[in-house]
Amino acid sequence: MVKDPWWLFAYWEIRSETERSVRNQLLPSEIPDLRSVLRVYDVTDLEFPVRQAHRSFDIPLSGLATSWYIETNAPNRSFVVEIGLLTASGRFFMLARSNQVTAPRAGPSEVIDDAWATTDELFWKLIGSSALLGSGSSPTVWAQLLLRNAVPGSWSSGTLAGMARPAMVRGFWCRVNADVIIYGATDPKARVLIQGRPVAVRKDGTFSLRVTLPEGTQTMTIEATSSDGRQTQSITPVVSLTSAGSLGTEPGIRPLPTARPSIRRTP
Amino acid sequence: MSGAQGTLCLILHTHLPFVRHPEHPDFLEERWLFEAITETYLPLLSRFTRLCEDQIPFRITMSFTPTLLAMLADDLLKVRYLRHLERLIELTEKEIHRTRWLPPFHRLALFYHHRLTTARHLYLDVHRCDLIRPFRELSERGVIEPLASCATHGYLPLMEPQRPAVRAQIGVGVQAFEHAFGRRPVGFWLPECGYHPGHDEELKAFGIRYMLLDAHGVLFGSPRPKYGVYAPVFCPSGVAAFSRDLESSKSVWSAEEGYPGDADYREFYRDIGYDLDYEYIRPYLNGDGTRLNTGIKYYRITGKTAEKQPYDPDRALEKAAQHASNFMFNREKQVEHLRSIMDRPPVIISPYDAELFGHWWFEGPDWLELLMRKAHFDQNVFTLATPSEYLERFPANQVLQPSMSSWGHGGYSDVWLNGSNDWCYRHLHKMAERMTRAADAHPTSDSLRTRVLNQMARELLLAQSSDWAFILKTQTHAAYAYRRLHDHLARFDALQETLRQPQVDEAWLSTVESKDSLFPFLDYRVYATR
Repeated sequence: MVKDPWWLFAYWEIRSETERSVRNQLLPSEIPDLRSVLRVYDVTDLEFPVRQAHRSFDIPLSGLATSWYIETNAPNRSFVVEIGLLTASGRFFMLARSNQVTAPRAGPSEVIDDAWATTDELFWKLIGSSALLGSGSSPTVWAQLLLRNAVPGSWSSGTLAGMARPAMVRGFWCRVNADVIIYGATDPKARVLIQGRPVAVRKDGTFSLRVTLPEGTQTMTIEATSSDGRQTQSITPVVSLTSAGSLGTEPGIRPLPTARPSIRRTP
Repeated sequence: MSGAQGTLCLILHTHLPFVRHPEHPDFLEERWLFEAITETYLPLLSRFTRLCEDQIPFRITMSFTPTLLAMLADDLLKVRYLRHLERLIELTEKEIHRTRWLPPFHRLALFYHHRLTTARHLYLDVHRCDLIRPFRELSERGVIEPLASCATHGYLPLMEPQRPAVRAQIGVGVQAFEHAFGRRPVGFWLPECGYHPGHDEELKAFGIRYMLLDAHGVLFGSPRPKYGVYAPVFCPSGVAAFSRDLESSKSVWSAEEGYPGDADYREFYRDIGYDLDYEYIRPYLNGDGTRLNTGIKYYRITGKTAEKQPYDPDRALEKAAQHASNFMFNREKQVEHLRSIMDRPPVIISPYDAELFGHWWFEGPDWLELLMRKAHFDQNVFTLATPSEYLERFPANQVLQPSMSSWGHGGYSDVWLNGSNDWCYRHLHKMAERMTRAADAHPTSDSLRTRVLNQMARELLLAQSSDWAFILKTQTHAAYAYRRLHDHLARFDALQETLRQPQVDEAWLSTVESKDSLFPFLDYRVYATR
C-alpha cells in the first residue's frame, strides 16, 4: 500500500509450512545466521519479475514483525516488495511477493503537452496563488508540500522536478534542454543570491534565474537572507548533465539533469 | 454566466457514518445525526428555501453519502430524533425559568427555545420527517446539484488493487443516489477526495462525468495542467476532474485565520452540558450519565481567554455579513488576477464539509445565505455555478493523468494508514477477497442464501467506512470505532460460515439484517469479477 510519495506500507502473514519448505532448501551451515528481510524492488516501467528491477534494497526485520513502513524516498516510482530469508552468504529465499504499487509524484510533472503548453513562470504563478506562496502560513499541511517543492529548503527530498527545465515530450521523441531554471520562493522581503549574484524577488516572494548548463557537473549556490539579516539559508545543488545518448534504449529513464543538493543552515 | 470573468463553485460535502443501534434505547453516537439535522441540515434547507422564495439565482453543489441518506430515511431514527428534540425543548423551557434574573442568558434561553421549536415545526409539519424530499426538490429546481458518493464513505486509494471492492463502493453509491434523487448522478464526491489513478475508469462505467480532487491531484498530474486548479481537466477515461482552490478554502476552514474563529461567533466548546450543575443536567445526558454537548451554548469565542463573554446573536449576524462581503471581495480580486494571467475564465472550486456550517461554525448558514445574496446583487465579476454547468460552457479541456491524492492531513493516505489503524487493512482486504470469491461462486442462489450474501456485502461495506480509521487516529470515540470494525468483521465471518452449512438459521439472519439494515436494493453480484 502507498502511504505517501516517500513511504509504503506492507503487511504479511506467512504460513508455517511455506517457511518450513523454504528452510528445507537451506544448508545446515546457513541456518544460524539466517535473517528475515524485506526486499524492496524499484520496478518502474518494467515487467517484474520477468525483467530485472532497476534497483533494490533490503530491510532486516525483527522476527515478530507482521507489517512494516518502508521509506523509499522515491516519488513517482513503482515498487514490488518480497519477504524472504537471507543467508549470511547473501542467498535470498522468497516467502511471498507483494502486489505492485506506484508512489505519487511529490511535485509538478516535468512533461508538458504542446497543445496546452505553459511556461514555468506562469505555472508557478498559478500555483503561487493557489498555495499562497510567501503570504503567511498554509491552509493545510500539504500546502507546505508545495512549498517544499518551491522553496530552496525543499531540495533535501531529492526531488528536483521543480528545478530542471521540463523536457518537451510529444509522441515518441524527447528533447532535452541544457538550461536550468532555478526558481523558488521565500519571504518577499528577503534577499536572494544565486552564484553570488543578487536576484530580484517578486512581490509574491517567487524568484527565478535561467542558467545555461554545460555538459558535466555544475555547482550552484543559492543564498536567501531574511530582511533583518538575521537568518540565512543556503542551498548548494550539484547539477550534472551526463548523457543524452541513451535516449530510446532505456525506456522509462528520462535523461533529465540529475542533481544532488546539500543543505546548510546558518542560524 | 455571460459577462462574468469567472465562476465560483461552492460545494458542501454531507456525510455521516451509519450509526443506528436498535438494541439500545439510547445511543450516544446516534446524536451525531440529530445534531447535524438540527444545526446543519434544517438551517441550510430553510435558507435555500428562502433564497428560492426571494428569487435569488444561487447555485450550490452538495454530496449526500448513502449512509446519511439511509439514516435520514430510517423510521427508527426519525422517531428517536423527535424524542431527542422534545427533550432539548424541555431543557430550554427549564433554562428560560432558570435564567429569569440573568438577562443576557435569559435572552439566549429564549433564542434556543425558539430555534428548537422551529426545528420541530420544520421537521414534523413542513418536511413531514423526510429531509431527502426537500433536497430533491431543490435539485429539481436546479439550484442544488447533488453529487453521488461511495456507499459507506470508503477511502478508495487503500482499497487498491482490489477493483471489485472499489467498484462496489461506487456502484452501490450510485444506486443509493438514484433511489434518493430519482435520476442518475452526473458528479461524484470521492470520500476524502481520495483518488487513485484508474478509479476514474470505474466512475465512468457508472456514467459519472466529473469528480472532485484536492489541488495537488491536478497540479501534480502529468502532463502539467496549463491552468493549474482553475480549470477542469479530463482523465484519459474522459471523466473530468475539478480541483480545490486553497485560497478560498483557507478563509473558511482555518481555525486560526478563518472566519469561524472570530471573537463574536459562538464558542463551540462551552456547552451547558458541561457548565451546569450535574443533578440539573443529568436527565438530559445519555444513559451512562457522562457529560456531553447539548448544543445549547451561551458564550462567544471572545478571544484566547477562559473568561468568555455571553453570546450576542445580532452582533454575530453582523459579523457574518461582514465576512460574506470579505469573501466575495477576495473572490472578485482573485478572479480578476487569474483572468489577467489566464486566457479563459477561471473556475474556483471551494469544497467544505457541510457540518462545518451550523454545527461547528454556528453562523455558517447565515454566512452562506448572505454570500449568495451579495454575490447576486453586489458584484458582477464572478457567477455561482455548478461544475456541470461549467463543463457545458467549456467542454474542451486539457487531458492529463491526475496524481494520487486526498484532502487529508499530509495530502495522501497518512490519516487512514498509520500506527493507530493500519491493522484493519489486512482484515478489510481479506474480507473483500472472500466477498468476491463468494460472489463468483454463487452466480445465482436461493432466496435465503441471496440474503446471506447480500448481508455479507453490507457488513463489508460498513466495515470499510473511512470514519473508523479516522476515529482511531484522532482517538475520540475510539472504543466505538474499534467495536464497529470488530462487529462487522465478526458478522461477516459468521455469515460466510452459514453459507457452508446445509441450513441457514433464518431467525439469526433476520436479527443481523435488522441491525445493519441499509441498502435494501443491494445485490451482492456487484462484487463478482468481470
